[in-house]
Amino acid sequence: MTAVVAPPRPASPIAAVDALLGRRVSMRSLALLRVLVGPVTLLHLRPFVADALGGRIYRDAFYEPYAAWYPDLPRPLYGAVLAVGIVAAVAMSLGFCTRLATGTTLGVVAYNLFLSTTHLHSNRAYLLIVLAALAVAPCGRELSVDAWLRRRRGRPPLDLRAPAWPLWLLRFEAAVVYGASGLSKLVDPDWFGGTVTWHRIVQVRDRLDASPLPAWAVSLLADRSFHTYAAKLIVLTELFIAVGLWWRATRYAAVWVAVCFHVAIEVSASVQVFSYLAIAALVIWAVPSTRDRLVVIDPGNPRHRRLASSIGALDWLARFRVLEGPPGTPVTLTDRNGALSTGPAAVARVLSRLPLTAWFALPTLVLPGARPRHRSGVAGGGQR
Amino acid sequence: MDEAYRIGGARWWIPEPGVSSWWPHPCHRLGVDTRARVIGRRLVVALVVVVQLALVARGYWSAHKEFAFQMFPESSTWQAEIVRVTSDGARVSVTRPWDGYQWAELVVGRGLGRPEVRHHADAGLDNQLAFLDAALDYVADNTPRDDETRYLEARVTTWHNTDPPEVTVLRSDDRPEAT
Repeated sequence: MTAVVAPPRPASPIAAVDALLGRRVSMRSLALLRVLVGPVTLLHLRPFVADALGGRIYRDAFYEPYAAWYPDLPRPLYGAVLAVGIVAAVAMSLGFCTRLATGTTLGVVAYNLFLSTTHLHSNRAYLLIVLAALAVAPCGRELSVDAWLRRRRGRPPLDLRAPAWPLWLLRFEAAVVYGASGLSKLVDPDWFGGTVTWHRIVQVRDRLDASPLPAWAVSLLADRSFHTYAAKLIVLTELFIAVGLWWRATRYAAVWVAVCFHVAIEVSASVQVFSYLAIAALVIWAVPSTRDRLVVIDPGNPRHRRLASSIGALDWLARFRVLEGPPGTPVTLTDRNGALSTGPAAVARVLSRLPLTAWFALPTLVLPGARPRHRSGVAGGGQR
Repeated sequence: MDEAYRIGGARWWIPEPGVSSWWPHPCHRLGVDTRARVIGRRLVVALVVVVQLALVARGYWSAHKEFAFQMFPESSTWQAEIVRVTSDGARVSVTRPWDGYQWAELVVGRGLGRPEVRHHADAGLDNQLAFLDAALDYVADNTPRDDETRYLEARVTTWHNTDPPEVTVLRSDDRPEAT
């Protein structure tokens, strides 16, 4: 007998939107993002702090305020604000007084960025958006010192689920980052035709010649006709990531491509914290429910035990429950839709769902025999 | 359903096919949200979406493209000869220090510190020219010891991608300090 819980049918489109925004979902991905964004924020603040420690702040040289009324703090107070930002970013990452720490981090980063038009870059705008989403979401109830203290005091844990709207908004913003960038290139004939990328390579040809790249690679990169195709690939990659992240069938491919994309950008251009932030933000695309995949292992098998330990250490999105089965049991993964995988296919599928190993394991899922089977032919679905 | 595992005295059931933890049990969908909260949430989300899309659209005509996420937009380059035009009509390059001021100390970042060198306009030419224009005004307004410069002028040569060069002249505000 199969029990199927269908979503309630909303009375109207507005009601459907309200149900979507108010649906209580796991905040685990935002909690993990909070942990990861702390170091990114520190990296972002570093040049401002280094300048301040060297006795120079933004208004010692050209700056352009967004508004005349925007407050310029006295020099020592500005330094103190940056120091508060650092402390807050560390506390946010650790999850100590999380709500206050995240709000303070957002406040410091926002104040500092809006001091001058010269401060704002796309990667910093994205950081601001991510911090804003974290500040409005209750993302400190797990993976946090707050949760640990609560447990130590013997108080009951807080509900780990919360209305989904901050997560949906952050997903929208993340998609906009890729979509807007791709669209602007798509509608620019110079970009889509390859002129921009080729010309940029020509400008830095001397640096390429001095790089460890082999001569044939430099020659290929400097070839105009190569860019006719490469530029289109870049544009379509950005658009694919923007769109592909939304659908379950393409999401893992989009995540995999996005990681490649950001690594390529990081090694080829100076983009401040963009690569780190964008890769960290990919965790928000995990389905916001937890412990709904079951891994059964044979506790007598050392390799199974190692897999269980790996899951314990690396399952940052809390996707798995690990159970000990009868002796001789192969590693068995039951997915949230009931699909079963066993043996190496199960191991590959498990690794493909752990943030740190996903990029390496995902390609193995296209190999023959890697597809799971359904226990009763019922394909689960409906997850977004 | 007969597939269950016993651990520590508790029975764990493997997930049912077709049953998702994604949709909460009906008893969890009680109307705990007030109407004000529901409407407020709806408005906040709509506002963010509309503002974000507006900022993306604004990026197509504004020199500054905040939150428009137009990354690596051009391969364009620029170079500028910046002079101080003094009250007696002399045109003095800012590459020479004056009254204890140096251009490279007054204007740092955004590739503006050495305008005489050809630079990549990494956020586009419009953006670069807007910054240079603002930098001229900043220097004009923040060099109080200088009592001879009437205004600063930049003769900017721009190369939009692979297009032929174009020349633009930017000028700071007039300085009342000039005698």
